[in-house]
Amino acid sequence: MRSPEPYRAREAPLAPLLAKELAEIVCGRALWTMLLLVCPLIGYSFVQAVSLYGEASASAQQSPVLAASLSPLDGVLVPTFGAFYVAVTLLFPFVAIRVLGQEKESGALRLLVQLPHRSSTLILAKLAAVLAAWILVSIPAVSALAIWVMMGGHLAASETVNLLFGHLLYGLLVGAIALFAATIADSSATAAIVALAVTIGSWVLDFTLAGHSGLAAVVAQLSLTQALRPFEQGLLSAGLVLGVTSTIAGLSALASVWLPPGVPTQIKCTRSVPCALAILLALCLPTQIRQSVDVTEDRRNSFPAADQRLLATLRLPLIIKVNLVPEDPRYADLQRNVLAKLDRAMPNVSIVVVGSHRDAASQAVNDAYGEIEYSYGARSDINRSTSPREVLPLLYGLAGVQPPPPAPGDEYLGYPLVATADATLFWFVGGLPLLIAGAWWWSRRPPAKSLLTYRGAQS
Amino acid sequence: MIPTDAAAHDKSRELLRVEELTKRYGPETAVAHVSFSVAAGEILGIVGPNGAGKTTLLEALVGLIAAEQGAAFWCGEELPPPRRKEALFYLPDGIWPYQDRFAIDVMTFFARVYKRTDAQTAATINAVGLTPVLGKRVHSLSKGYNRRLLLGLGLLTPHDVLVMDEPFDGFDIRQTRAIIDVIRREAARGRTFILAIHQLADAERACDRFLLLAGGKVRGIGTLGELRAKTALASGSLEEIFLALT
Repeated sequence: MRSPEPYRAREAPLAPLLAKELAEIVCGRALWTMLLLVCPLIGYSFVQAVSLYGEASASAQQSPVLAASLSPLDGVLVPTFGAFYVAVTLLFPFVAIRVLGQEKESGALRLLVQLPHRSSTLILAKLAAVLAAWILVSIPAVSALAIWVMMGGHLAASETVNLLFGHLLYGLLVGAIALFAATIADSSATAAIVALAVTIGSWVLDFTLAGHSGLAAVVAQLSLTQALRPFEQGLLSAGLVLGVTSTIAGLSALASVWLPPGVPTQIKCTRSVPCALAILLALCLPTQIRQSVDVTEDRRNSFPAADQRLLATLRLPLIIKVNLVPEDPRYADLQRNVLAKLDRAMPNVSIVVVGSHRDAASQAVNDAYGEIEYSYGARSDINRSTSPREVLPLLYGLAGVQPPPPAPGDEYLGYPLVATADATLFWFVGGLPLLIAGAWWWSRRPPAKSLLTYRGAQS
Repeated sequence: MIPTDAAAHDKSRELLRVEELTKRYGPETAVAHVSFSVAAGEILGIVGPNGAGKTTLLEALVGLIAAEQGAAFWCGEELPPPRRKEALFYLPDGIWPYQDRFAIDVMTFFARVYKRTDAQTAATINAVGLTPVLGKRVHSLSKGYNRRLLLGLGLLTPHDVLVMDEPFDGFDIRQTRAIIDVIRREAARGRTFILAIHQLADAERACDRFLLLAGGKVRGIGTLGELRAKTALASGSLEEIFLALT
């Protein structure tokens, strides 16, 4: 009996599909428009950041303490890439939607799904195109880094790569959301509304619920913006990386389920359930996997190395009861300076926030408000400090160990740079847009080689 | 033109059989219990007026829309909807594939996916008369050239059965005849065609057998001679037969 299988999925070459997807995204106006819009946006942010960094550096010339607080990660990289983040949140969904939306609207999708590739392969090829698009739209931001180095600025490789990696994950996450939206929506316009509702909605969620406690804090953690924060703080968090990549994979799997047009909606819904559960699980991962690496040059997320080593040897459970409400600025200080670092340094730390808003309102008569109780093994102690200089000796006292001697040469000296980047605006509003326009024109030329090949073959 | 496995094709043998295909949109039945079969190298015309259910029938057949009922059999073996794309390739009506790309890019893409040589691709381009517009973007092609492009894509595929919706829409009489010649030559090499056509004169010129569809139901099926016998119109045209049966 003759086999009806001229081309099984495993035999289908992937290269033409990938080439087609890349060419499709380069053919569209959305990518080039976004690139042109990103140039001045990033340029202005970069110039402002360098200007402020330069002013702070001028003040720091006489003060080593002030100089030590000058890190290019905080002063230049994060603000510059902050503009890129805004552009990716607002504009990148349009670019990502195009990889599928155009085919849906023109009817080409009905040809595409008949090709000898699996739905998952088609979606992965489209995700690869989204990745390529992200790389292209990041060119202005990367060029800002190159300019910073040419100006004599310092870049720490680990924290720079970590920040770029965070933005890459964020871009792919936005791309995967947009791709899924394009799969379920009938038109690109509807897909854009769905994707922007998620990206901008999560943005709004982040700043309206920031600093709240309880359920609001849990909901705020689901914001996409939260995915970038640790990278901006110089942390490479295993849980977060795994959570974001799993979410991207889950959204891609959902897109694969919803792509084939001939499958009844009921079956698609049934097949979506495992993907949706996997995404929910992925969203919980960052809170469950605590391993992270402090990639910053100034080790801002860690105690001094000697303290880190000693704290890692304290194996008993440490329970910290914080009698502050999360909205209290002292809690934010404590969290940043002590709790987050202890959580990373010690193997078994539990933090319990016991402060209530009633206590906070009556703190004049409630002496206990503001107290932080540390219990290690059978011993406990209380203080109110938010500084590691006071908390660490207290902990060592509870554990009955000697504090480590301060290691010389451990201090971060900072990288002040008195400079202005005003002249680079010409690059961001002139040179780079011209290059982009040139590349756009070049990408629209007919493929001369193919034309000659086929016309030649016929003659 | 691309040679297919001519030895494997046998006109006398049933290649594809469709049984009781039914598609409903809510309370409305678009296609009701349609059954037919095609042999290798045959050109079957699904003929009917606009709204007869031709496109729905084709899309349900190739698995692009979910049918409520019915089955397709390939050489006697059931072919479930997810696997129909392995045997059938469908060229829909009214699509402009990859509008921003050049016609040559779209042809090259299909040629590379199906591992066609440059000579095979060039022969297909020549056969469908696409050469003058290879350097044009798809969105700037005329309706006729867009049809040629779609036909070219279909001919680049290795599928034994090509299913085409309104393949002659947008062509004048000479172009229609030229395209019919292309389809006939390909059918002579053993490829099977299922064509949905609303122009009865075109269908009569192009097809070996006809499935007359109206209101989603089969009103007649057979060769022109068989349909003439059934309607007792000894020299009746397909148009007259269709009117007699519907």
